[in-house]
Amino acid sequence: MAHSPAALSLTGLTKRFGKTTAVNDISIDIREGEFFTIVGPSGSGKSSLVRLLAGLDAPSAGRLTLRGQDITETPANRRPTAMVFQSLALFDHRTVGQNIEFAMKMKGVAPEARRARALELLRLVRLPEDYYPRPVTQCSGGERQRVALARALGSDPEILFFDEPLSAIDYRLRKTLEVELKELHQRTGKTFIYITHSLEEAMVMSDRIAIMRAGQFEQIGTPEEIYRRPMNRFVASFMGEVNILTVQQQGGATVFADLELPAPDAKGTFAVLRPEALSCDAEGTFCFDAHIVQKLMLGSRTQFHLRAGTATLIAEVAAGHGTTLRIGDTARFSFDPTDIVWVNS
Amino acid sequence: MRRNPGLWYAMPLILMMLLFFAAPLVIVGWYSLMPPRSFALTADLGLQNYRSAFTEGYGRPLMWSIIGAALTTLVTALLAWPTAKILHHHAGRWASLVTALIALPIFISESVRLFGLSVFLMPGGGILAGTLNAVFDVQIGTILNTRLAALVGMIYIHFPFMLFPMLLGVAMIPADRIEAARDLGANRWAVLREVELPLAAPGLLVGGLLTFVLCLGANAEAAILGGRAVTVITAAIEQRFNYAQDWPMGAALTVLVILVTAALVFPALRRIDLGRIIRR
Repeated sequence: MAHSPAALSLTGLTKRFGKTTAVNDISIDIREGEFFTIVGPSGSGKSSLVRLLAGLDAPSAGRLTLRGQDITETPANRRPTAMVFQSLALFDHRTVGQNIEFAMKMKGVAPEARRARALELLRLVRLPEDYYPRPVTQCSGGERQRVALARALGSDPEILFFDEPLSAIDYRLRKTLEVELKELHQRTGKTFIYITHSLEEAMVMSDRIAIMRAGQFEQIGTPEEIYRRPMNRFVASFMGEVNILTVQQQGGATVFADLELPAPDAKGTFAVLRPEALSCDAEGTFCFDAHIVQKLMLGSRTQFHLRAGTATLIAEVAAGHGTTLRIGDTARFSFDPTDIVWVNS
Repeated sequence: MRRNPGLWYAMPLILMMLLFFAAPLVIVGWYSLMPPRSFALTADLGLQNYRSAFTEGYGRPLMWSIIGAALTTLVTALLAWPTAKILHHHAGRWASLVTALIALPIFISESVRLFGLSVFLMPGGGILAGTLNAVFDVQIGTILNTRLAALVGMIYIHFPFMLFPMLLGVAMIPADRIEAARDLGANRWAVLREVELPLAAPGLLVGGLLTFVLCLGANAEAAILGGRAVTVITAAIEQRFNYAQDWPMGAALTVLVILVTAALVFPALRRIDLGRIIRR
């Protein structure tokens, strides 16, 4: 991968709004044809960053090069990129076809050629051709999503930006669209830069993920790397529900402070344990007694909310295990050192 | 009838509209078909007043009114668009202050403002000419008592009527649509043509109609600033009713003005979703 040229290079990219720094000195190369996702909580600066990349805002400092060509000063309308907005920003006063053809019309493409390409794009985003003359206001949420995507593709961009386009869509449709987007990425071979607050969403689609906090990337890696080797508690906790145990020195011994359990061979200050790493069969290396506060059936798994020592933990066991355990019971839970992810901050 | 209480509730309004809106219109229409200089409403109907309207020199005042209204609408629209955009973008204390400064003069009598403008434009010791002479030693003439002065007055008086609907219109353009258009390769003109104007169209149409219709019926500007340089149709109508005591002719001219207005207003209103403006 190292030899493939960078589609987009960010060098010290910075954006300040008054005294706050939304994007703080970010440098990275995004590869040709990559599905690169930036994940962060609201206020992390991810939207500000993508606006800089699309040319909607000017950076306070830093450079931006597209295939080696400096585009830092190039206005949005002359950048060969297109964005799918969080609000979709469809032209409600126009038809589906007119929306998709907008960029082509701006380029002066002849009407017949525009129409042919628009119908092609409708097929690509899996909308029937008879949507072409419809007003976009008559489209459902998912259909509007597809029109927005087709409109962005209509400019035949080198890079596509997505600013949380699926955040307002219900769970099932979102899952469908995630897969479709991934397939579309594979079929078009274009570079996708995707913004989301959901690491779960990022995992499904991305080649690489950057976790963003306070205007900077905390960690960059493949979904596998982010999942297996989070760099710190922030990245680990972004994955969803995780248990974090603090390791301390007490009387010359290393212990899990909350559980009052010896922790020999501790490789970091914090032990990150995924809920599925906790077992209720007391077969693991580290065993502890826990009070069951809550029991939730999640279909293929059962989730227990536990109180042990001063810790509140979440355990998830496969269905069929722990069936006899009730809320209010005290039971023995355990985990193995191999399931621990060690972080220092 | 018991099944439709809405009709009963609407009755007072219906009666009022019939009595004070429909009936006067009918009377004016009827008078316009009477023989010249008669004061009775009879069955002796004829179109002779309308024929006279086009042969006896009334075409000119009507034309002046229409041209004046059209020019005023155009100029105020060109002035109000950037103003509205700036006020919308810099919403806050300064924008409120500027808006108030534009709105406040509406509460002062139009004649007073026009006489003020007249004093401003006067030659010699007028505010503009006098100041330029005293401070910069520049001597200028005056546009007072010309068609241009009447037009300047019309623009000055009607600017707020264009600006405020346009502000509503501009507020109907979501910022992200402009950004999306830019992102898809639209330059400033294309953004204006393809996104801003269509989205702000209801505000533009309302402002345009309001200004045009008000200007078509305006005569104070021509009378106070235009001197004898221009006679507008309202002045001609007034003269027919008062001085000439020719009610049927006045009525025929009135009907013509109403027809011109209706020909513009009805097609335009059909294109506006008033509900959309009110909801915003």
